[in-house]
Amino acid sequence: MTTTTATPAAARRAISPQALAALAAAALVLVALPVFTSGYVIYIANLLLVFVVLCLGLHIVIGETGQFSMAHAAFYGIGIYASALANRAVDLPYPVAMLFGALVAGAVGLFIGALALRMRDIYLALATFAFGEAMQWVFANWDSVTNGPNGLRISPARFGPLEILSDKQAYPFVVFFCLLMIGVTIAISRSRLGRSFRAVRESEVAAMAMGIDIKRTRVIAFGLSAAIAGFAGGMFGLFQTFIHPDSLGFQTTILVLTMVVVGGLGSIAGAVGGAIVFGLISEVLRQAPQYQEIIYGGILILFMMYAPRGLFAFIGDRIREARHGRR
Amino acid sequence: MDLQLALIFLQQGIASGLVSGSVYALLALAIVIIFKTSEVPNFAQGEVFMAAGYIALYLFVFQQMPIWVVLPATLVAAFLAMALFRRIVLDQVAKSAKDLVYLVIATLGLSYVLKGLVRRTGFGDTPRSFPALVPTDSVMIGQASVTVLDLTILGTALAVMAAFFWMFNYTKIGRAMRAVGMNPKAAQLVGVDLGRCHMLIWGLSGVISAIAALLISPKILMTADMGSIVMLAFAAAIVGGFSSLPGAVVGGFVIGIVENLVGLFISSRAIVLAPFLAILLVLVIRPQGLFGGKLTIKKV
Repeated sequence: MTTTTATPAAARRAISPQALAALAAAALVLVALPVFTSGYVIYIANLLLVFVVLCLGLHIVIGETGQFSMAHAAFYGIGIYASALANRAVDLPYPVAMLFGALVAGAVGLFIGALALRMRDIYLALATFAFGEAMQWVFANWDSVTNGPNGLRISPARFGPLEILSDKQAYPFVVFFCLLMIGVTIAISRSRLGRSFRAVRESEVAAMAMGIDIKRTRVIAFGLSAAIAGFAGGMFGLFQTFIHPDSLGFQTTILVLTMVVVGGLGSIAGAVGGAIVFGLISEVLRQAPQYQEIIYGGILILFMMYAPRGLFAFIGDRIREARHGRR
Repeated sequence: MDLQLALIFLQQGIASGLVSGSVYALLALAIVIIFKTSEVPNFAQGEVFMAAGYIALYLFVFQQMPIWVVLPATLVAAFLAMALFRRIVLDQVAKSAKDLVYLVIATLGLSYVLKGLVRRTGFGDTPRSFPALVPTDSVMIGQASVTVLDLTILGTALAVMAAFFWMFNYTKIGRAMRAVGMNPKAAQLVGVDLGRCHMLIWGLSGVISAIAALLISPKILMTADMGSIVMLAFAAAIVGGFSSLPGAVVGGFVIGIVENLVGLFISSRAIVLAPFLAILLVLVIRPQGLFGGKLTIKKV
């Protein structure tokens, strides 16, 4: 079992000048966007930032713990519906509704994970796959709660007296919550818990010998991942006015998985970068919907064949080869 | 509902369940033989089944080829596609990444490519049906009504399973496959060609899926999304323990019957939830499935 990932040692290293430049450029783009662009670009930016958070959630469970979860869209959907309904029901600041969405999704995740993880990890993939399908059915058929196949109108998010009515107004909040979740994920990854996640991924036997409770670790990872996906659902409600069950199917799970794979399994920067790079690619692909599935599938296959560590590692390796010649 | 009607429903549910269950059993078998030898849950199995159905439809309906050409051509195409996928794609994936997760993601990629390709051809735009090759006259068995086609499906499926079990248990190649399933390294040491064995297994799995598609296509409307019934096959495999061939078959029939009874007694809307509930029940009551052996822990 060898997976190449950012080791904690590498994470603690001083930030390289390239990374610093990239960070500065990203910050500049984030700040400059609302000043120079139109509403549609801001809407796409909001959506990409939500997908960044979804990727962080999937990173925790696949990248850190090596567990295969296929119900990410379902937890995202639970977060969207739960936060939207909470927002409608009680007159509290919107972050409370977001937390509620994250908690509900996390609780359901813990429950499913606890059931599925009693067995080999292959069962987690299958059970979550089935759960995702079942959950989409619930979204589409539980009329009294989700308004079923007609979709649900999401009322505007409120922060005290401030009502958010446009993508542009929502943007700073979306950026803030996205950065917050990146911080939370980094903190988890560097904590004792994160180390035990990676220990479980690398070798269960060795992890057990170190006194790590494997089942508990897996369930916690799964629940955390679901909660982060639910939080992303709450972020979605910041700027969206409508949710339809059709957009919460396996397609969305695959989209998030593809993003994480393109970025590189196992690194947080990869999950974030993958979400942005592939998010932009899939936005371009919208022009050719008939090729979308072939391209997604082809990307997954080709990356697994030739660049399993993701696009950025692949490019880095090629650059190094070009500089030093092949070794 | 009075007792008389309940009895009729019960018989009908079991009869129809045996028919649809035989298709789930075939697909579950196709999934389990791959899982036993490669430890990969092949998420493209449903799309292989779907694509095979469309190949047959294309040759038979659009090219007007005789059926004795169409059937072998479909099976050969399914065999080659899966064997080549294993050889060209998965061997390369296994070379560049040691983790199973990568292989699983590659099969997800294949499922999407196949779905996209079928959609591109445009056959998936309108639901079509494969013409039935045997009469669809009704026969009464007890108080249940089945068609000659249903009986043909069940009979063929059972014959295929029997042939496959014979191959797996009593031929040299079957023994090699079982050896690879138990311990690939040791199998290689005693002279099993791993690469060839994997190709054969994947190819056979494709053939079994194609047979399932040929059997069921006259009974369902074909769409590019018809591969989603693989969920029921996965449920069947889980009920059977996921590494036992007889388990997969029994699981298929169990799922088929449960699905039909749920549809008759509760509502057809609840059928969608049946596989998920079946999986959850099995996981809660008997996590290793009905036929699963003892749990072993993987050494490093």
